[in-house]
This record gives sequence, C-alpha cells and structure tokens, in this order.
Amino acid sequence: MRILIIEDEKSLREDVEDYLTENGYKCDFATTVKSSLQKINDTVYSCALIDVGLPDGSGIEVVEYIKKHKPEMGVIIVTAKNALEDKLEGLKIGADDYLTKPFHLSELNARLYSVLRRRNFGGKNTLVFDGLEIDPHEKKVVANNIALQLTKKEYEILLYLASNPSHLVTKEALADAIWGDKAEMASSFDFVYSQIKNLKKKLNEAGLNGFIKVVYGMGYKFRD
Amino acid sequence: MKLLVKTNIYSSLVTLSLLTLGIFLVYRVILIKLDSDIDKQLLIAKEKIIKGLAEGKTPEQFSSNIGEKIKIREIYKQNKSDDDFSEYNLADIDNEDEYSVQRELIFQTTTNDIAYEVSVSRSLSEGRAIGEYILIAGLVFLFLSVAILFFLNRYLSVYIWSPFYDTLTKIKTWNIKKSDVLDFKNTNIDEFHLLNDTVKDLTQQIKSDYQNLKEFTENVSHEAQTPLSIISSKVELLLQLSNYSEKQHELLLQIYRATQRLHKLNEVLILLSRIENKQFIEVAPMNILDAMNEKVQELEDFIEAKGLLVQIHSSGSVFKEVNPQLLNILINNLWINAIKYNIDEGGFIKLTIDNESFSIENNSSLPKIDKAVLFERFKKESTSGSLGVGLSLIKKIIDFFNWQITYSHKDGVHKFKIYM
Repeated sequence: MRILIIEDEKSLREDVEDYLTENGYKCDFATTVKSSLQKINDTVYSCALIDVGLPDGSGIEVVEYIKKHKPEMGVIIVTAKNALEDKLEGLKIGADDYLTKPFHLSELNARLYSVLRRRNFGGKNTLVFDGLEIDPHEKKVVANNIALQLTKKEYEILLYLASNPSHLVTKEALADAIWGDKAEMASSFDFVYSQIKNLKKKLNEAGLNGFIKVVYGMGYKFRD
Repeated sequence: MKLLVKTNIYSSLVTLSLLTLGIFLVYRVILIKLDSDIDKQLLIAKEKIIKGLAEGKTPEQFSSNIGEKIKIREIYKQNKSDDDFSEYNLADIDNEDEYSVQRELIFQTTTNDIAYEVSVSRSLSEGRAIGEYILIAGLVFLFLSVAILFFLNRYLSVYIWSPFYDTLTKIKTWNIKKSDVLDFKNTNIDEFHLLNDTVKDLTQQIKSDYQNLKEFTENVSHEAQTPLSIISSKVELLLQLSNYSEKQHELLLQIYRATQRLHKLNEVLILLSRIENKQFIEVAPMNILDAMNEKVQELEDFIEAKGLLVQIHSSGSVFKEVNPQLLNILINNLWINAIKYNIDEGGFIKLTIDNESFSIENNSSLPKIDKAVLFERFKKESTSGSLGVGLSLIKKIIDFFNWQITYSHKDGVHKFKIYM
C-alpha cells in the first residue's frame, strides 16, 4: 500500500517514512501544497498523512482537494496542538483521523492501520494471526476459536499492540493511547502493567503463549 | 486619614495658635500704650497743679475734671521728690460688685514754703474695656477666618487633587492582562502632569515587556514542538533496534522518558497560553452534574484501585454556559488531584453541587497547601512526580470563566469550592 507523507520538516518525515516502511508500506513524500497536489494526481495512494502547516499554504487545501477529486483516499491530519480548534474541526473537513504533534510513531501506525482497514477491506477487516483473530468492527477477539472476554481497556491494548506487530511499543505510548489525558495517572498506578498481565493471562488460558512479549523496563512487543 | 485633611488640620492649628498669640500681643501693646497715655495725662495734670499752686491757688480751687480726681493736702514737710504711681480699685457708687481700676499719681511739692501732697487719679477701665473689645473682636474674626479657610481649603484641595485621585483610581484598577495603556485626564498642574506621564510611560513599558515575555513563552513552546517531535521519534526508532548493551538501553530509555515529560510540560504551557489568549471562545450550555458523573465513570479504574468512596450530593442538574473543552480539563484536573493525592486506604471524595457552586472534598496525605503558592506554577510537593501545573491550570480556567475558587483544609480533608 502506498502512503503519501506531506510534511515539510525533513527529519520528522524521514522517521515516519522509516517506521511505516518497516511496517510494510511504500512511502512517498511531498513538502508543499503544490507538489502534494501534483503527486496526488499522478499516483494512486491509499492514504495521505497531511501536516497542516506547510510553507506555501495550509494542509487543509490538500484535504479539500482529496475529498473532491480522490474520495477513495484516506486522510490523516497531523497538526501542532494549537493549529486547529479541536479534533472535531479536523474531522469536519473530511479527515478520517486526526493526530496532534508530538505523537508516538506506534500511535500513527495504529491510526493508519485502522483508517486503511475501514477504507480498503470493506466488510472484512479482521486482523488475523496464528490462532488469534481481532475484529475491530465488532470489537471481538477470538483465540483458538474461543471468544475471549476482554475488558474495554484490555481490548484496546491488544488492538494497539497488534497494529504494531514486531515493534516495541513503550509503556508511555500505550498509556497515552488508552488513557489520554489520564495517562500520567495510569502510569503512576502501573495500570499498563496490570492490564497487560491480565491480557496475557487470558491469552494463555486460551492456549496462546508468547503473543505479547515484555521488554523489560521499556514496553511490549506483539509477536517478535 | 487623607493627606489633604491632615495638612489642612495642621495648617489650621498653626494659623490658629500663631494668630491667637499675635492678637494677645497686640492687646498687651495697646494696654501698655493706654497706660502710658494715662501716665502722661497725670503728669500734665501735675504740671498744671504745680503751676496753679505757684500762682497762688488754694487746694480747694482745684476741682476734679471729668475722669480726673485731684486731692491736695498740706503736709508738714516735703520728704520726697519723685513721682509715685500706683493703682487701686474704686468701688462703683451705683453697684457695689463693680469697680473701676484707678491709676493714681502721688507727688509732693513745696510752693511758697507750704508743702503739699497731691494725688491725681484717672480711671484705667475705659481704656482697658476698649482693649478687651479689640481682643474679643480679633479672636472672633480669627476663629471665623480659620474656619472659613479650613472649609475652603477642603473644597479647593478636593478640586485641585481630583486629577491625582483619578490617576490613583486608574492605576488601582489597571490589569496587565486586560487593560490598555493608561490614559489620564488633562491637568494643568505640572506635578500631576509629570506623574501621569511617568505612569503612562511605565504602563506602556510594562505592557510591552509583558507582551514580549508572553510572546516569547508562546513562541518557545510552539517552536519547541517540532524539535521535540523529532527527538521523540528518533528515540522511538532507536528503541526499535535491539543490539544494545544494557547500559546503552538504559541511557536511551532515560532520554525517551525525559522527552515524554518535556512533551507533557509543553502541552500544558501551550494550553495555558491559549487560555490567556482567549482562544476558547465557543460556549455551550453544559450540565455540570452530568459532566461530573461522566468524569467519575472515566476515572472509575483509578477510584477502584485506591478503594475510594465517592459521594455526590446534588440538588439536580445545573447548566452553565462555558467552553466544553475547558470545563472538561478543569473537572479532569480537580478529580485527578482528588484521587492522586488521596490516602492509600479508606479515603473518600465528596462532591457537592448546587446552583451557584460545587465543592470537592477529599482526604489527603499531603499537609495543608500554603495559600501563597497554591496556584503558582511549578510549586509542587517534592514527593509527587507531577509537573505542578495542575492547580495553576485550574485557577487559570476558573479565572477565564469568571468563577471563584476557595481552598480550605481541616482535619486532613482538603476542600476546593468553586463559585460559578
């Protein structure tokens, strides 16, 4: 799948490219509104990551262009915290998702994964691993053909980890993604640890071992 | 006491005492002059008597003039030659209680070998009465004029000092965040003019310094976002690699954690400056009770983990027109504080809502917070790992909403009450 990264900050763009390439995407980039529109016309992309602040205009123009001429393309807006009044406004102009800088690369990947699933797989958007199936639409998890009873938080953690297979997901990234503005408190309570512990226990009971690997002191990996 | 009243009182007192003293001095001088005039008249009478006796008049031929009594008697021999002045009281003929003061000149003279002792006396009382009238008139005039001056001064100084009070009121109500540069009434008094100009320059300077500082803080936090994002994503990518020594891993992890903290800090700073810049203008009718209940649900995990008892007392739904985002941040911070700093076992959080206010009470292991630093940024209890901006954020939002917040502490229970 081909992704267009529209970001004028070279260093940041390269990191996103690196991370997404590792996750199996093909990436192109553009640094201005003009070159983005050119690329969008010339190539077929599954999704565009659009930074709102561009040197020759606003990323919003690009979003509007895509909505008009390439409605099949996914759009994720990336902004500095203060650029758009709130998330709703970002979504109002037609973006599929909205991320504020700074973001965790794993978070971007998870969001991208979710946008692509919703757009490209149509009805069938289940994540399938050996013996484990996650259905984000129904919010159901099936392990070795047995439906797992997960709490909301356990489910969210599992989906987030599964969206970043073979990558280290830090405790901080997980806490931010699952608990949002309460992440700091979640960390102080060691909630990530206890939720993961329960999740692993439930997977183990269903006969699935080693899906979540603890990287000591840092975070977690789904399927090394 | 006002400066004007004080100077007025002092100057009145000084004027009063100086002029009183002056009037008494004048009175004394007049008396002395009157007395010396009487003495002169007595001496003239003496000359006339001596002359008369020399011309051969008998003592009986000297009649007392109006206001002048003459007594002449023969004596055996003149035994003194100097004049002897004295005063005595003479009872009034009609009224025994009243008397007049008489000035008497007694002298001896020898004419044609006959020695006489002569007494001439005149009344002092008339002159003194005039002196007293002058004294009384002077004093009455004095008190009247001081009183008039006192009130005139008061009125005048209120008028003259009015630009000063105008300046003072404007300085007092000046707010660095809200007010423009001060502008004053025109005044033709040089000192006030100078004062106004100085204050105006000062506020202009303060205002522009404040503006620069504010912009600087904003720019720093905004500009820091991109490099922070870069550091953060680089470290995240580095963390994905696995061939590190334990030491290298540890170093990377520390960089990562510090960057994350910096992110959070920056986020709050940006939020604070956005509130200061009034970027949250949208308002909607918000049900405070619903917002609280939702928050309790969101925080259920944490409340359970600490085993806290949550009580909500409410008389029903309360709607307030506020910015939903800020209300959420406000309530979030209040609840997170109430949970985070609560005691480890058997703690409680009590929320009370009525139409005008709501309060959150909770136990805490923390001591009473010093009021002076309560809402200051970065004044945190050293034990917690938090950024210490939570309370300052709460205060900022309360101010933005034009609400009031009070804090009290009793028997280990902290209470924040917010008046909406």
